[in-house]
Amino acid sequence: MVLATVSTASAQVRIIQTNSMGDNIHLIDPKTNQIVGEVKGVPLNHGAAASPDGSRLYFSSEAEQTLDAVDGKTYQILKKIPLTGRPNNISISKDGKRVYVGIVSAPGAVDVIDTASLERVKSIPTKGGIHNTWVTPDGKFVVAGSIAGKLMTIIDQKSEEPVWTLPFDQGVRPMAFETNSDGSTKRMFVQLSDYHGFAIVDVAQHKEVGRLELPNDIPAEKVDKGPFNGSPSHGIGVAPDGKTLWVTSRPNARVYTYSLPDLKLLPNPVDLGGRPDWVTFTPDSKLLYIATENTDSVVVVDVAARKEVTRIKVGRSPKRNITMVMR
Amino acid sequence: MRWLIGIGACLLAGAVMIAADDLPDGEGKKILEKSCTTCHDLTEVTKLRGFYSRAQWRDVVVTMKEYGAAIDDKQVDVLTDYLVANLGKK
Repeated sequence: MVLATVSTASAQVRIIQTNSMGDNIHLIDPKTNQIVGEVKGVPLNHGAAASPDGSRLYFSSEAEQTLDAVDGKTYQILKKIPLTGRPNNISISKDGKRVYVGIVSAPGAVDVIDTASLERVKSIPTKGGIHNTWVTPDGKFVVAGSIAGKLMTIIDQKSEEPVWTLPFDQGVRPMAFETNSDGSTKRMFVQLSDYHGFAIVDVAQHKEVGRLELPNDIPAEKVDKGPFNGSPSHGIGVAPDGKTLWVTSRPNARVYTYSLPDLKLLPNPVDLGGRPDWVTFTPDSKLLYIATENTDSVVVVDVAARKEVTRIKVGRSPKRNITMVMR
Repeated sequence: MRWLIGIGACLLAGAVMIAADDLPDGEGKKILEKSCTTCHDLTEVTKLRGFYSRAQWRDVVVTMKEYGAAIDDKQVDVLTDYLVANLGKK
């Protein structure tokens, strides 16, 4: 997830890497690929979000079932906000005023946090526990994916009311967004439980229009047999320039690249040396950061060359990651 | 291609993880071995050690059942009791 695609010439960029089995989060400077900051005291951190100016960070804690607001300069926790159940991933509105927390506990909900008061102000009921939430690139909708409910719920961001849902035959996992020229969402690329690939959703039609399976292009003896938490492909992202889609494979320990909009598989998948999870880009689309959970590291990939740049050791079982721009 | 869960190799890997974590024997452990480690390593469970009340552990078990774990209604409480006893908040 990239939080800003505008010029960042005068801004500092940080890759924020959560550690799902730790109580700390690492901040990486993409200019040096060194860890330059650490947030502590968020046990079993799950989701991450940042305010548009980078002054505030937010993390969900599965252990404490809270959303933790963190000062963007001192990395000190400002408040632990109680949630209605066990949280998974989170997202933030484009104006930074609302954080949307997926509540995976049955029957499911999206908890809404007001960032001025740091209080939960609403809980939007959903059909099934919510694994991930996203705010669409134009900021107009919140998309909530459910594994148990096997559907996504699209919520109007202004009214914070569901406006449509889309069922699948498998649980909804990470997704990525392709935009039209006006910034509205054209297609969603959706990873699903037990599917080694992704579904393609045409937003105008409100329907799934196809699926693409990832290649089985490595020797059988080198294929990782798992277990993969029921999700062999669990990391996907559209580069900020909109030219490519990147999709990770846990069995193959690789990331694959598709050109956009034609979804043509490009050569030279990148070997990652471990089970890949979430991905995030620098705003200039030059670098891609991929968490590899079973190596406690992040692999940095040169987007244009489709080659590994370096690996960065982080905390225990890194998963969700985002890109933050500090203005 | 669909990646079906529940393959023998995963069960074997899960059993190794359980041994490493040294959880005591019991009906709950049998359910863990049979129904949980087919999808994930046991560390996804033991990472929650000391954090959850009974209601929170039950929520986890119910969620996993909804995800497709092979757990019947009676086993929900058996497994919950086991997790509370061995990994619950003290």
